[in-house]
Amino acid sequence: MNEMQFLTWVRGPGLDIALGIFVLGVIWRLLEIYTLGRKKDLSVPRHTSGASGWHTIVRRSWAPPGMFKRSPVSYVGGYVFHVGLAIVVFLFAPHIALIDSLIGLSWPGVPSQVIDAVAVVTMAAMVIVLVDRINNPVKRFLSGFEDYFTWTLTFLPLLTGYLAVKHLLLPYTTMLALHILSVELLLIVLPFSKLFHAFTTFGSRWYNGRMSGQRGVSV
Amino acid sequence: MSASLEKGVNVLKEMIDAPIASFFNSCVHCGICAEACLFYTETGDPKYTPIHKLKPLRKVYEQEYTLVGRAAKALGLSKPLTDAELDEWQELVYNSCTMCGRCSLVCPVGNDLAYMIRKLREGMAVAGHAPEGVIGATKRTVEIGSPMGVRLPAVQAQMRHVQEDVGIEIPLDQEGAEYMLLLSSMEIINFPEYLGAVARIMQQAGKSWTLCSTAFEATNSGIQIGVSDLAKVIVSRIVEGAERLNVKTVISPECGHAYMALRWEGPNLIGRPYNFDVKHILEVLEEFRVQGLLKTEGFETERVTFHDPCQIVRRGGVIEPQRNLLKMVAKDFVEMSDPGKYNWCCGGGGGVSANENAEQLRLTAFKRKKAQLDEVQVDTLVTACANCRIVMEEGLEHYQMNIPVVGLTETIAKHLAKPTGGTPQSD
Amino acid sequence: MAIKDDTEFQTALSGLTPQQQRQLAARFVDSVINLCPDPRVKAAVNVARQGDVSDAELAMARQNAKSASVESYTQCGKEADWKSQAGHFVALAALACVASNEHADTLAWDAAMNARMACTCETIAEGKGTRNREAETQYRMLDEFLES
Repeated sequence: MNEMQFLTWVRGPGLDIALGIFVLGVIWRLLEIYTLGRKKDLSVPRHTSGASGWHTIVRRSWAPPGMFKRSPVSYVGGYVFHVGLAIVVFLFAPHIALIDSLIGLSWPGVPSQVIDAVAVVTMAAMVIVLVDRINNPVKRFLSGFEDYFTWTLTFLPLLTGYLAVKHLLLPYTTMLALHILSVELLLIVLPFSKLFHAFTTFGSRWYNGRMSGQRGVSV
Repeated sequence: MSASLEKGVNVLKEMIDAPIASFFNSCVHCGICAEACLFYTETGDPKYTPIHKLKPLRKVYEQEYTLVGRAAKALGLSKPLTDAELDEWQELVYNSCTMCGRCSLVCPVGNDLAYMIRKLREGMAVAGHAPEGVIGATKRTVEIGSPMGVRLPAVQAQMRHVQEDVGIEIPLDQEGAEYMLLLSSMEIINFPEYLGAVARIMQQAGKSWTLCSTAFEATNSGIQIGVSDLAKVIVSRIVEGAERLNVKTVISPECGHAYMALRWEGPNLIGRPYNFDVKHILEVLEEFRVQGLLKTEGFETERVTFHDPCQIVRRGGVIEPQRNLLKMVAKDFVEMSDPGKYNWCCGGGGGVSANENAEQLRLTAFKRKKAQLDEVQVDTLVTACANCRIVMEEGLEHYQMNIPVVGLTETIAKHLAKPTGGTPQSD
Repeated sequence: MAIKDDTEFQTALSGLTPQQQRQLAARFVDSVINLCPDPRVKAAVNVARQGDVSDAELAMARQNAKSASVESYTQCGKEADWKSQAGHFVALAALACVASNEHADTLAWDAAMNARMACTCETIAEGKGTRNREAETQYRMLDEFLES
């Protein structure tokens, strides 16, 4: 297989397989988790404004009082990396074009120079959170293979994408193919790893806010 | 697998619901929950990270309820839960967690870790891995009907004592009274002043109230150990008593877990809503204050602060009443850092204070409260939980800090406006 | 005049000087001291009994009695041992004996009530019902004190 065939494969059957596994995997995992259900709460609720699942979905995006200074790297690194990733994934013109071709939805992108800069900042943030994971005693203690593996799977698309756009290291075609392949790996692993928090975070926040909201505590 | 372990694992399987599944899938090992836990912040030992304490529950979840986990188990890639593991985790689940729920308040992905610890304890207890101290409390609940072994004559003796002290008759088993007062075991044993304070406040407010001979105690160690069957027995007794006496409102005492157990878990334990209200004494006092039925005179001249009991505030929703009430009688009321729902636990809730093996750790964790108190430099520490009170008194004693700890209800009662006639009052 | 009830008891107590209250409180505690094995408690009562003690001595005795009372609490969830709980209330009574002069107005009453609570615990421990005669004993002690 030459590089062109490789690219054709990752763009065609490869993408189909990855997307198929991703979509079915996400549906399966969501059902596996949320059909477990929960018991109805029979206590008489205390109504307090701002205390609900929906409030918590939004509110938990900010650091609670006093927490920022206890874990600044997690918060700054976390924000920069997540926001940066969202910008690069959803606002880069070629990505929008791909989404348009898949589901027929499109929106304006941002200039590629901006994407370049954001990608660099995002990768830097990822390296910083990785170093923090290794240095911080709690994070190091909690972390196992999956933590480093999923970090790598998230980092590779950023790196290969950047290198491809910048025509660095390998011929463009090969690098682009590698980029698409890395994304496909990410898509395949996402539903079955901690990366699935991209979906369940909202459910978790909702449950937490809902259960506390029953007691009249906004969290 | 031993029979008890199998039972324990089965209980854990039953406990796992959609919230727990969602929580485990959301965790990214960011470690922020550790920063909210006083057992970590005061020891610096990563094993006290809240999410780590839940590892046995996570294992059961993955092996039983996920496709990947089931496959791994079938292929022998992941080993089933063992007694040795649970034994190792006992310290983490019981000694170093008060179920204060501060971690649940800060988790960026929204995990309610305290909710999960509560469920994990159910399985640990059944598997025989609860600490000796709490097992004793369980046994007494079954055999005597009280976690601390308090029988009715002890309550009657205290009633008589309080009658002498404050000169007010303490009503027992009065049908149709508006309020039924519950005591915590701790108030019966250590703090007779609480009952006296309530008697005087009720007299001033002109409200009818009663104790109940079949349900005088609210302490629910079933919740702390994590045995729902027992917790249900204790709650049912209160429900039967309240229904027999046909009272409108049951008053939960100055105790954290008692309130959470009765107000929030109770209806779910017995499987139906109550036909009476459950209010914490602070809520009742606040109602009296708003209705003008609570009249005080004079002020504490000293500088005071309030320690928020976790189960009443963060896990109970009673946040403002204590502040309004304290301001009635204290001119120099100052908040500690992280007040209200963000409070730091005394370190002895959730059965930790009953657990002898946890004593050293509890005193180490108390350094958090010590630091908070060092910041505000108060003369008196007020709280509304008998257990917090004793735990803090011991902590203060240990660190040689001379700060008296008092209950809010008795502080209010101390300042009750003198009646214009009637029985003479002691002060 | 023999004291018959708590109203008279309290009235008579409030007529005493802080010094007298302290000495009488010491007698109240003495009457139940056998319920408490802690030597710090006995030492505090001895300080209270002396006529003239310095503020520093009083503070030291208070600290010791306080430690004794905190250490003898029954913890939440532990089995109530009413016998040792009696000791806890004796420690509290002793603490009242050596209260600072600012709190001296109710000192004897506080000591009396805690001493009675100690007796109540003892009767619970022995399963002898709920009554005990410590109040009458205290009335008699006050009578004797007033006569002397």
